[in-house]
Order: sequence, then structure tokens, then C-alpha cells
Amino acid sequence: MSLVLDHLLSIIVLAPFAGCLLLLALPPEWKTASRVVALVSGGISLALSCVAWALYDGAKGGFQFRESYQWIPGLDIRYSLGADGISLSMLLLTGVIIVTGVFASWTLEERCKEFLTLLLFLVTGVFGVFVALDLFFLFLFYEIAVLPMYLLIGIWGTGRKEYSAMKLTLYLMLGSAFILTGILALYYLDPRRTFDMLELSGGSELAVGLQRALFFAFYLGFGVLAGIFPFHTWSPDGHASAPTAVSMLHAGVLMKLGAYGVIRTCVAMFPEVAPSLMPIVAAIAAINIVYGAFSALGQTDLKYVIAYSSVSHMGVVMLGIASLAPVGMAGAVMQMFSHGIMTGLFFALVGLVYQKAHTRDILAMGGFARRMPGIAVAFTVGGLASFGLPGTSGFVAETLVFLGTFARYPVIVAVAVTGVVITAVYVLRVVQKVFLGPLGEAWSELPDARSTEWVALVSLAALLVAVGVWPMPLVNLINHGLRTLGMEL
Amino acid sequence: MPDRFLFPIPQDLDWFALGPIIVVVATGLVALIVEMLRHKRNNAYVVGVSVVGLLVAGAMAASQAGEPAKEILAGTFLRDRFGCVVQVLMVAACLLSVLFSEGYLRQKRIAYGEAYPLMLWATAGGMVMATSRNLVTLFVGLELLSVSLYVLAGLSRTEAKSEESALKYFLLGAFASAFLLYGIALFYGATGSLHLGRVAEVWTSGFETGRSLLAVGMALILIGLSFKSAFVPFHQWTPDVYQGAPTNIAAFMAAGSKVAAVAMLYRVLDAAQPMVALWLPPLFWVAILTMVVGNLAALVQKDAKRLLAYSSISHAGYLLVALLARFKAPDVVSDAALLYYLASYSFMTIGAFAVISVAARAGRESTGLSALNGLWQRSPFAAVALLLFVWSLIGVPGASGFVGKLLIFRDALAADLVPLAIVLAVASVVSVAYYLALVRAAWVADESEADAAVAPLNAGSGLALGICAAGVLGLFVFVGPLLGWMAGPRSAEAERAPIVRQG
Amino acid sequence: MGGYTGLLILAILAAVIAVAMVSLSWLLGPKSPTRYKASPYECGVTPVGDARERFPIKFYLVAMLFILFDIEVVFLWSWMTVFREAETSFKIFSFFEVVIYMTTWIVGYLYAVKVNAMDWDESTLLSQDEDSEGRPALEGVA
Repeated sequence: MSLVLDHLLSIIVLAPFAGCLLLLALPPEWKTASRVVALVSGGISLALSCVAWALYDGAKGGFQFRESYQWIPGLDIRYSLGADGISLSMLLLTGVIIVTGVFASWTLEERCKEFLTLLLFLVTGVFGVFVALDLFFLFLFYEIAVLPMYLLIGIWGTGRKEYSAMKLTLYLMLGSAFILTGILALYYLDPRRTFDMLELSGGSELAVGLQRALFFAFYLGFGVLAGIFPFHTWSPDGHASAPTAVSMLHAGVLMKLGAYGVIRTCVAMFPEVAPSLMPIVAAIAAINIVYGAFSALGQTDLKYVIAYSSVSHMGVVMLGIASLAPVGMAGAVMQMFSHGIMTGLFFALVGLVYQKAHTRDILAMGGFARRMPGIAVAFTVGGLASFGLPGTSGFVAETLVFLGTFARYPVIVAVAVTGVVITAVYVLRVVQKVFLGPLGEAWSELPDARSTEWVALVSLAALLVAVGVWPMPLVNLINHGLRTLGMEL
Repeated sequence: MPDRFLFPIPQDLDWFALGPIIVVVATGLVALIVEMLRHKRNNAYVVGVSVVGLLVAGAMAASQAGEPAKEILAGTFLRDRFGCVVQVLMVAACLLSVLFSEGYLRQKRIAYGEAYPLMLWATAGGMVMATSRNLVTLFVGLELLSVSLYVLAGLSRTEAKSEESALKYFLLGAFASAFLLYGIALFYGATGSLHLGRVAEVWTSGFETGRSLLAVGMALILIGLSFKSAFVPFHQWTPDVYQGAPTNIAAFMAAGSKVAAVAMLYRVLDAAQPMVALWLPPLFWVAILTMVVGNLAALVQKDAKRLLAYSSISHAGYLLVALLARFKAPDVVSDAALLYYLASYSFMTIGAFAVISVAARAGRESTGLSALNGLWQRSPFAAVALLLFVWSLIGVPGASGFVGKLLIFRDALAADLVPLAIVLAVASVVSVAYYLALVRAAWVADESEADAAVAPLNAGSGLALGICAAGVLGLFVFVGPLLGWMAGPRSAEAERAPIVRQG
Repeated sequence: MGGYTGLLILAILAAVIAVAMVSLSWLLGPKSPTRYKASPYECGVTPVGDARERFPIKFYLVAMLFILFDIEVVFLWSWMTVFREAETSFKIFSFFEVVIYMTTWIVGYLYAVKVNAMDWDESTLLSQDEDSEGRPALEGVA
């Protein structure tokens, strides 16, 4: 048992990878076995993430469950893992999404084994990013999380899948080039000459101009993945083309990698220059919120609506980070969690609707609530969380963000808050067009969700409400994490 | 003493130091004899003999890497760590190419068992190029490598493309050799010796005629070697030759021949250290051009082999960056990055070519990207291996290609060659687009009916692919010890020392 | 450069004189061409056919082999001339050197014989077991 506890984070990261290797060895015909393997390996990670949450010593705070091994002595690269409250909440999110994602793609038949293999490989990278404490390994896991997306969208996507896949990959590789440049520059220019993130955080002795440049390198690099304006255009295309589980993972978890990276680099490593640069981040975030919401309003493709809503919601996350204050930061992490669950739910629902109705055109649908009440209810719960109705996780997150940032950027926040109103408009518009109104004749035979599909819907919707009603455990956890950034609620 | 001149017996003959080369050449002879005796054109024994010989030679070379450097045979042969490591790389490149050759040649119905002895001799030539500082010895090694490759490129005699490849390679190779030879002649005129070690003495002597003669000679030698290493603007032969040559030979050319050419360039630049101010500016621009042109031209390729040819050109550019950094700041930069990159490059390039060879058909060479369509279904192992090689070729962490680029990047910064480091980073991002074309062809694109023929992975190809994949991953995981082995104890300390910024 | 100036002048003078003699006689000399005068000289016999004619590839093969083995003899000859006068240690050493050297030649010779490179008969193919398309037959491949 102590072996497991001593290497808790390694096991969380490597369990999906082990599943990935196991899947490679399975014959392609064993589809159910493949699904079970994926489910179990994802489930192990989720369960252990919960264990980590339970064992995390809030009184002590900081990074716990540390593991550290020398890898390349000459370059001082260490395999170094550790988790604080922010990491842990993200681990929980990732675990939930991968398990529900496997359930949501349970019925996928085409090249099932390869799909699950890549999915698990990708998740390995996601878990890795959230626990890495060495910039080199952070980057390694980051690439593992990003690159399989090309195949996942290119092979199993719909519509203009190859275009979307290539666009997404090139944008994200451009982002990684910025990140890599930043990492290497930091390593070579900083007298500490280390990749150790703990050692690097808390301030730098570099010239202010250089710190600014590095701040922007990391902000742009990670920001591309977080969908910051104007580098967000890969995201609607990518999400709309991707298969259900991939959209869930990508919008639900991968975009958070970007925001998480910004917290760990820009905020933690450059506290001197961050306050002077954060207004820019906040302004861009506000553009994201409003522009994303308006774009979502204009879409007729259901998946594009959700995809643009992600752009808008990630703006809220970035706005919270820009506050550099405990309340806003807690709100940002909360929003990352909340939006992850919410988008996961949305994409699972859209996938189901498309699978049953074979269309994603909002204007062609109508009255679906009569044929698929379960899906309609789940969608409405997600929608309410999306515009932050009290009692849902979205409310907690957005309130914290706007509270935390208003004092610092009153004008920007005033603009950004209008985004919430527009969000309400487009969410209700979708609910009305798709689920309410008269049922078209073509849709008289539509089935509701079935067996395994319920697992994803119920668990995600329940989580949204649970966190909204009783947010304190999560808020406490995040609060412990903020201490590593020198903040506390 | 006229007697000693008439009847020379080398006093310092160290058979063991010469061993790897002798073993490879002798194995070639034995393989040729076996080829003549073989039954019904079954090449299994030829392959077996070649593999055993190469393994022995590789072990001999590897065991000597730690020994102190020494020159024997009147300065015509040099045994040092760099030479030994390059010898191991050459042997490995040949071994891997031989492993997947037989299946490919049978598939294409090229029954010439002579391919194996020729590959062995080419390897021996490459090994000589890495272990001498005498220009004539180097030249003989180069010609041994080149002439063998001219023949090998035309191995598929019934294919016009293969013949074109051989002829083009021969003509341009001979052209390059002429440059090189002329340069060597001028070098001899300037220094009165064929030994590279004389450069420093002549250069610092202040004898102006000798200096200018030496400069011109060196320039010609570098041009000749640039041809062989496929640096832009001396690269035009590469895509045509790689495309036309049988895939196993193209793999060997891309890996082995490049390793040898870079090794010889290393010897020349090492000796030309005092003249660094003279050759650095032109080679600096050559490196930039090579990286830029190689990557941009690769973007528009529709043929897998041409694509890999341009990729090999861009990698030659990265290697040149490593060389320049090594000799611009010899005190702070070790051989490690160059050797590591050569090893990593060899594994991933041969691996990629081996995957392409799976798509071979009898009689015609179908190497368009579409020939790889449906590979994931026909041969999942090859398809997964291709993913890994592409992962590494792009330079994403998780495979050796990334560490190689990282080391070169670091050395370039340490040697104050910042523009080269930046171009390297940008070029790597551009390369994503065309490497993904390979992945797309193998995984994403739907298989057309015409290409639905079976091409099962045979044991040899599978083994070669497995070794390449293990190599790419192994180099990544065991970076520390490998760098220590490649650069030696002195450099291991230099690795750890803080970098002193130049100028 | 000093010591070579005379040589340079000599070379230039030689070139100028040669070019002048040929070009002046061509410019100034009387010309009355006839068909026979304009035809290539071939021992006084009227030329027949085109000079650009295809001839068997065997010529190249045999010529190359001749050059190779010719060079072998050159090396052997030079060794042979000093062998008798040499001291014993050199005799022993060089003998084994030459044995190794000759072994490679013998293997090469055997190979040349094996592939019928010395076979002058036009009807013999380079290798005998080829299929109808000129590709060599292979065991195990239909």
C-alpha cells in the first residue's frame, strides 16, 4: 500500500498509459474488452485522484505527494511531480471527464481500439501537466496531450475534419514553440539554471524587460490553447469537427491546460511584472467573453454554439487569473472546474442528439423534449450553469471571478459582465429551438438516451448542481492551492 | 636510411584499432563468396553473414571508445572516441538497412545478393572517413563509400527511375569528388603534407602564399563535402537520388552516408580551427539556407521518399549548426550534441524509410504518399512505429529527436550563434506540417481500392522497425549515460560547468 | 611568384604562337574544298556509315576488367622487384600482405567468372536464370 501512496501521482499519470499499452496488445475485434480497459485505467486515475484529495493535508498546504528523480544530471532535468489544491481540482476534473468520455463513446464502433488508445495516451499527458513540477516534463506532457488530437479529429471527426485537425495542430504547435522558447530562455538566462518550477516561482532576478518578454512568451504559448482572442479560431473548428469524447476532453480539460500553464508560469514566476501586464490579459479576456458569446449567438450548428461558448467561458477564467487576487484566482480555478464539467456535459449531449437525429442544425430541430426528456433536462441544467444561475457551479465561479476583479478593473469587468446576459440569450435560444416548440414530423421516432449514455449525463449534471449547492469542499481545496502562489482567501 | 624506405614494416601496427574496418571489409568478401555459392538465389545466408560481421565490428568499435586517442600507420589512421562512436553508428545504420533489405528486395524482385557486400564496403568507407586525419585516406574512404552507393542506387535495373538515380548520383558525386580532390591538391601545395594536423602550423606561419593557397584549398574541400552532406545550395541531387534508389539503399544513404560525410567534415573543421574566422560566415549562411530551404521544399512534396529526402536536408542543416557551435566555441561545447543527434537521426530516418518500404510493390516503385494509405490496417505495428518516428523527427519531447535539437540549441546559444538557434526552432515548427502529411497518409486518409493489396510485415522489417523504435525511445530515456559515453569524461565536466558567454 | 615569371611568359608565348600559326594559316591560306577532302581521314579509304554506332556493352566490361587486373600486375611487379633483395623480416611481412591482397583479387576474379563477365558470347545473358521480363528468378516468389 505504501508503494501506491509513495507514488500516487506517478500512478495517476501512468495508469492511462498502461491502459494504452495494454490496448495496443489487444486484438482489434475485442471491442468491449478495449472499452473496459479504457474505463478501468481511467477509473484508477479518478479513484486515486479522489484518494489524493482526501489525503491532502490542507493545514500544511503547498505541493504534496512529491516525487523527484534525477533524469539528465548535466542539464539538471528531474522527473519531479507534486500536487497542490489547484492541481488536485484539475486532476479530479480530468478523471471525471475521461471516465464519462469513455462512457459517452461506448457506442463508437469504427477503429474502436485505436480511438481508445489515443484517448488514453492524451489523458496521460493531461494528468502529467497538472502534476509536473519540472518545466521540461511539463512541456513533455503538454505535447503528449496536444498532438494526438490531430489523429483523433482527423480520423474520427466529422465535417471538415482534416482541415480542422491540421489547423488545430499548427496553432497549438506554434503555441508550444513560444512555450519552449520561454522555457529555454528562462533556463539559459536565469542564473539559477534550473527547470525546477518550485525554485523558479516566487520571483526572478532577470531584467524587467526580459521578464516581460518571457511573460508574453508563456502567455501567448499557453494562451493559444486556452483560446485567447485572436488565437481562438482553431477552437470552434476543432471542437465542432471532433468526435464526442474528444470534444469533451478538449473543451473540458485541454483548454484548462492553457490556463493552468499561465498560472504556473506567468503568475507564479514573474510576480514583479505580472501586475503591470495583467490589464492586457484582462482586456483580452473581456473580448473573449463578449465576442465569444456574440459568436455563439449567431451560430446555427449546435456544436459551434457550444464551441464558441467555450471561448467565452475561458475568457472568464483568464479574467479571474488577471485579478492576481485570491478571490478572483479562486474563481478562475473554480470556473475551470465548472466549465470543464459543463462543457463535457454539453458535448456529450450534442453527440447524443447528433447520433440520434443525424443533424446539428438548430433550425431544423424542435420539440425534442417530448421525445428525449432526459437529454432535454440535462441540457437545461448545463445551460443554467453556463450563464451562472445560483445553485449551479457556474454561479459560484463567475461570482467569485467578477467579485475578485471588479475592484481592479472596473471598466473591463463592466463590459465582461454583459457577456453573461448574452450567454443567457444564446443558451435559452438553443433550448427553445431544439427542445421546445412543436415536434417536427421527421422526429417522431427519436429515442432518448440509453444505458451507458445515462452514466455520463447523470453524473456530470449532478456534479454541476452539487458543486453549486455545496461548493465549500472544492473552494477549500483551491484555497490551499492558492497558498503556493502566495495568496489566501 | 634508404633501406627503411625500401622495405617499410609498420612498427606501430595495432590490429585491434583497425579491427572494425578490417572485419567489415572481410565480412563483405565472405558475403560475396557466400553469395556466389548460395542455392537458388536465397539470400538468407548472405544476410546472416553480414549481420554477424557487423555485430562483431560494432562490438570492437564500441569497446575501444574509452581508450586514449592515438594515430598509427604514419598518421594515416586515428583511433579516438569520436571515430569509435561514428564507427558504431555506421555499423548500426548498415545493420538496420540490411535487416529490412531482404524482405523489400524480394518484394521488388531485385535478386542481387551483391547488395549486401556492397553495403558492407560502403560502411567500411564511411568508417574510414571518421577515423583519419590524412586527406588521402579520407578521400579513399569517401570514394569507397560513394562508388558502392552509385552501384547500389541503380540496383533495380529494370526501373528507369533507379537508373536515373544512379547516373545522377554518379555524375554529381564525381563532380563533388573533383572539387574535393582539387582542394586536397592545393592543400598539399600549401602545407607540403596531406595531414590535416599541419593546418595550424601553416596558417600561423605568416607565409602569405601558403595561407591563401590553403584558404582556397580548404574552401574547395568544404564545397566537396557540402555536396556529400547535401547542404543547400549543393543539395539538388538528394531528392532525385533518394526517390529513385531502392528504399533500403535510400535509407542507408540518408543515414550512413550522412553520418560519414558529417564525420569527415568534423575532421576537416577540427583541423581548420585556427581559420575559423574565415569559414564560419559562409557556413553560417549555408546552415540557415539548408534549414530554411529543406523545410520549405518539403512542404509541397507528394512523394514519401522525396519528402524524407528534403527532411534529411533540413536535418543536415541542424547537424551543421551543431558542427559550427562545436568549433566556434571548442572549450565549452563538446562532441556530445553532434554525435547524439547523428544517432537519433539515423534511427528515426532508417525507421521511416523502413516503414515506407512496406509499401513496396514488384516492378514499380510506388512511394507516393497515397501508397501508405490504410497502413494502420495492413500493418498496425509499422503504422504505430511511423507515429513514433514522426514524433521524433518533428522534435517533440518524448523521443530522441527533441533531446537532440535541445542539445544543439543549447550549444548554439553557448557558442553565441543565436540566429542559428532561432532558425532551428522556427524550422522545427514548420516541419510539423509536412511530417503530419506522412501521418495523414498512414492513418487518416481512406484507402483507395487500387492500393488495397497486401504487404505483410516480414520478420526482418519488423525487427529493424522494432530496433529503430527502441533506439528512438532508448536514446531519449538514457540521455545521461549516452552523452557521457559519446563525449567522454572531460566533456561530462564541461556539460555541468556554467556556460561562459563569448564576445 | 618571382621565380615562376619566366615560366608564365613561356607559357603565354607558346600559346600565342600556336594559336597564331593555326588561325593565320586558316585565315590566309587558299581553300578549294572537295567532297573527299572534307571527309574524315580513315587510312585513305572512303568512310562507310556513321561513327556513332552502338557496340556491345561487353567491350566496357572487358575493358574495365582489363584495367583492374592490369593495375594488379603493376602492384605485383613493384613488389616482386624488391622482394629478392629484401631482408627476411620484410619478406615474411610483405608476403602475407600480398597474400591478403591477392585474396581480394581472386575473389573478385571468381565473381567476374561467376556472372559471366568474361564470356564473350553475345547470346549469353549476364545471369542465366531470368524470367521473361528480364528480372532474375527468385525462390519463393511467383
